[in-house]
Amino acid sequence: MTSNILEARNVTKTFGGLVAVNDVTLTVEKGRIVSVIGPNGAGKTTFFNILTGIYKPDKGTVIFDGTSIAGNRPDIIAALGMRRTFQNIRLFDNMTVLENVLVGMHTHLHAPFWQIVTRAAGVRREEARARQKARELLAYVGLDEKRDDLAKNLPYGDQRRLEIARALAGQPKLILLDEPTAGMNPHETDAATELIRRLRDELGLTVVLIEHDMRLVMAISERITVLDYGTKIAEGDAAAIRSNPRVIEAYLGKGAAGAAA
Amino acid sequence: MAAEAKVTTSPQTGQRSLAEVLRTVFGPVGQMLLFVVGSAIALSLVVTLLALVQIGARPDLLVRTWTILPQVIIDGLVRGFLFATIALGYTMVYGVLEFINFAHGEIFMVGGVVGAAVALALAAAGFLAAVPGLLFVLLIIVLGMLVSGTLAVTVERVAYRPLRGAPRLVPLISAIGVSLVLQDVTRLIMTSTPLGFNARFNTPDFGSPIRLFEMNLGDRPVPVIISPKALIFVSAAVVMLVVLNYLVNATRLGKAIRATAQDRATASLMGINVNQIISLTFLIGGALGGAAGALFGMYVGTVNPYMGFIPGLKAFTAAVLGGIGNITGAMVGGIVLGFLEAFVASYLSLFTGGAFSGAAYADIAAFSILILILIFRPSGLLGEATTQKV
Amino acid sequence: MARVASLQNIRMTPTAQSARLWEQLRTYLGRGSGAYAFFGLYAAICTWQLFTNPRTSLRTDIFFVLFLLLVFMVYRSATPLWFRGGLTAVLLVVVMPIFGTLNPFYIDVATQAGIFVALALGLNVVVGFAGLLDLGYVAFFAVGAYLWAILSTPQITQINPAWSPVPPIMFYPFVVLGLVIGAVFGILLGLPVLRLRGDYLAIVTLGFGEVIRVLANNLDRPINITNGSQGIREIERPPLILTNFIRETLGWNLSDSQLYQQFFYFVVLLIVIFTVVVVSRLKNSRIGRAWEAIREDETAAVAQGIPRVRMKLMAFAVGASFAGAMGVVFASKQLFINPPTFDLLRSINILAMVILGGMGSIPGSILGAVIVTLLDLQILPRMATVLRDAQRAGVPIPAAFDPTQYQRLLFGILLVLMMIFRPQGILPDERRSEELHAGDEPPSEEEAPPAARAAAESS
Repeated sequence: MTSNILEARNVTKTFGGLVAVNDVTLTVEKGRIVSVIGPNGAGKTTFFNILTGIYKPDKGTVIFDGTSIAGNRPDIIAALGMRRTFQNIRLFDNMTVLENVLVGMHTHLHAPFWQIVTRAAGVRREEARARQKARELLAYVGLDEKRDDLAKNLPYGDQRRLEIARALAGQPKLILLDEPTAGMNPHETDAATELIRRLRDELGLTVVLIEHDMRLVMAISERITVLDYGTKIAEGDAAAIRSNPRVIEAYLGKGAAGAAA
Repeated sequence: MAAEAKVTTSPQTGQRSLAEVLRTVFGPVGQMLLFVVGSAIALSLVVTLLALVQIGARPDLLVRTWTILPQVIIDGLVRGFLFATIALGYTMVYGVLEFINFAHGEIFMVGGVVGAAVALALAAAGFLAAVPGLLFVLLIIVLGMLVSGTLAVTVERVAYRPLRGAPRLVPLISAIGVSLVLQDVTRLIMTSTPLGFNARFNTPDFGSPIRLFEMNLGDRPVPVIISPKALIFVSAAVVMLVVLNYLVNATRLGKAIRATAQDRATASLMGINVNQIISLTFLIGGALGGAAGALFGMYVGTVNPYMGFIPGLKAFTAAVLGGIGNITGAMVGGIVLGFLEAFVASYLSLFTGGAFSGAAYADIAAFSILILILIFRPSGLLGEATTQKV
Repeated sequence: MARVASLQNIRMTPTAQSARLWEQLRTYLGRGSGAYAFFGLYAAICTWQLFTNPRTSLRTDIFFVLFLLLVFMVYRSATPLWFRGGLTAVLLVVVMPIFGTLNPFYIDVATQAGIFVALALGLNVVVGFAGLLDLGYVAFFAVGAYLWAILSTPQITQINPAWSPVPPIMFYPFVVLGLVIGAVFGILLGLPVLRLRGDYLAIVTLGFGEVIRVLANNLDRPINITNGSQGIREIERPPLILTNFIRETLGWNLSDSQLYQQFFYFVVLLIVIFTVVVVSRLKNSRIGRAWEAIREDETAAVAQGIPRVRMKLMAFAVGASFAGAMGVVFASKQLFINPPTFDLLRSINILAMVILGGMGSIPGSILGAVIVTLLDLQILPRMATVLRDAQRAGVPIPAAFDPTQYQRLLFGILLVLMMIFRPQGILPDERRSEELHAGDEPPSEEEAPPAARAAAESS
């Protein structure tokens, strides 16, 4: 038994002639905050899409919590306890904030069709409990006041938080955050950083995030993986990554010191 | 036309050689002709095989199969070019807007009605017999193109442009509405004028059927004939397809259209007036549909306001079959579907001893093909390049 | 809190004055003693007018429409459940049938409207909830209708001379069977096509609808299953019930055909109530939310663990099942069906109901179905007579123009205008907010500008 919640080994994905993800291996220990960074187009989001089942990898294995999931359908992977947020926020725009969270609970609601139609007592109880739980989650991310607003009417930062609340509603073991602070102002970013830290400290979640904000990445990640052109070029803690020449090169180009100045 | 002045694509990278122009223009048409021959041969082999399988029980089957074969191939040719010309309208609009112009079948129908109106007006004035056949054909093609093209542009302006950027289903529902409106407005016009609901009309005399050759099958020779109208239909369609390919593949205008289809936003950054190009796409697609309508109306000799619906649906099938958004694909898809339908319509009843009427089941065959293609090869026969923009 | 939100909204709209007046009027008449008096008086006047002047005329038409409007307003009002339920029941179970004995035309219109309400609600599950544009919905209706038509008549002996028609009493189990068969066909169609993108799905379902119609038209050979274009006649009706009670105990001397009208009115009413209950319960459940999530964003929905294909299949099956059951009732009520009854125009007709009312909205679908049915059966014929009179008086109207024959035109214009100006429909789907339990308060009037327009303006 390892304490790894996620083991992705030698994952490769090509689109036509383009190798988007090339032989990437990533293992994540339970209860860690891990970041995946890299320049634009490095294959980070593609890698997330493979983990969550949106793409099938051409090669490689993904083991999540002891189950092999590579190539499984995304809804099955989500039901196993891996949830995510999206880089370009994908909420259910015309549903309320509360309903968005309730949709996130889908895999934990089991009322069968005929019981819903007859509105059996069990269904009503389950529904009431779900609403209670959803409100607790909204309170946790600070959105309970806005539970009846339509998701599309929320300010940007709130939409990001709602996406996290929706992911939490699935009671995940692992949560993947795709650029959770993209487009936020420094104040909002600080709040988001705090929230991510609480997810791990208070809820015991494992967090993997893609992020461009280096301040955030360096502040909260225990391990960092760097991708460039689909290939893993470095891995280690914040200090090691900061001083890794290949990483500097990937971000700033060859002969960076001179050119960047 | 008007758009040409505004189109400023990237600087010319040097004159293209004549050979290159010829290749880009005639390449797709050649490819289509390849499919014409291929479909005809493949399907002929299939029916021959089917006849041979049953020959034990029905010894005359093979001769009967071959007797009607040339006529079936000519029928397939007409249907094929019909679907190909209509399918182009669907595929061009889809290429640029990713939108199924559901009303395109009605644009086709209006072309047919215009042709009928011209014929009846000439007949009423007593000129019909005096007009040379080819002049008449030219007249109805030009008028059909003009009316249908203008109509298509107007429809886009009124019913689709306000909905650009809306969820996918919104303009589609609007297009369904337009289709119904055009059907009934045309019906109102037709029934209020001497045209009537089912407008039958005469055309100038194109001469007697042309005898191509004779087949010797058993006891008596079977003549293979093609009606002049079918010949005109097919030749006119080929000419239009060549012109279209020239327009799209060898002119600056065509480059602008292709650029807009690739990426609307970038095209507009390159100085292309996207709205104008979209109007132009509707104009070209509508004009092609209108010309096809006028020619087809002349070929069958009767038009009615509902005649566009089923051919429209099948032309869409053809566009999907060839890979929607792909111009060569639409032509190829039309040809393949036309031949398939002609063969099903003629041979189903023969092979099942008259148990199933081929004409009705040809429709079912077309829709089954649509469903199968969409499920197993949604990019179509020639898809890939143009359909990857999801 | 919701009140505050709605007030803010009103302040910001340009027509603030009229909107506020309307809101006040609604609030005043919608609940409390004002509502009791208003609805009571309205109901009394309507009933009195309908009972004293039952003859078919423009005047009765107007009161009949006002009557239906009343039923709808009561159903939508914020009055206590006992009042809403009681008054609706009295209007639909007592007033309408009695009026029906006085004039058979109007109860037939009401029955037709009911049939379409159930169909629109079924299609609304597919189009409105799950966002799948189904243009061949009428096929499921046809399947139900042909099921009963073939099996209840001697047509069955054409398939196999040894078989005999089922007895008329089997109508009741066949309504349930129609439900099941509809669902089965929904799944059969859904399985291959549900992976397709939205616009392709629309065209494929349209093709499927055409295929079913062509099959109905041509399956008279080699084995005569559907009797082809001739259609099937003399379809059985179930044996009448309560005949003696009505004729002797109540002393109403109604003919058999009048009793059948009443019978089908009540059957349809029951099915409509059943449909409304089932659909609203599904809507506010995990299943309904999953459908909406798929409609909003398929990728995000799947990332929440929602099995996409299964949920879409379920939507297809539920929608189709109502159509299948109504098909059985329809065949039995009409006594005769043929393939043109189930053409594309009928599918578009039902789609127009859903779009007019508001996709995804249950009251919207009901309202849409009633309006379109009234248009078809009452308003267009009435317009036709008006136009004929005007024509005789010398107004230049084309002789060929008969409004009843131009439904396509009407629905076509309706669809285009709705898409451009109000894609969310007359009664858009209202978000149920957490605080508002049914009947406490009117739902907040949250009306975001149609996304379509906003996007169009910005481009």
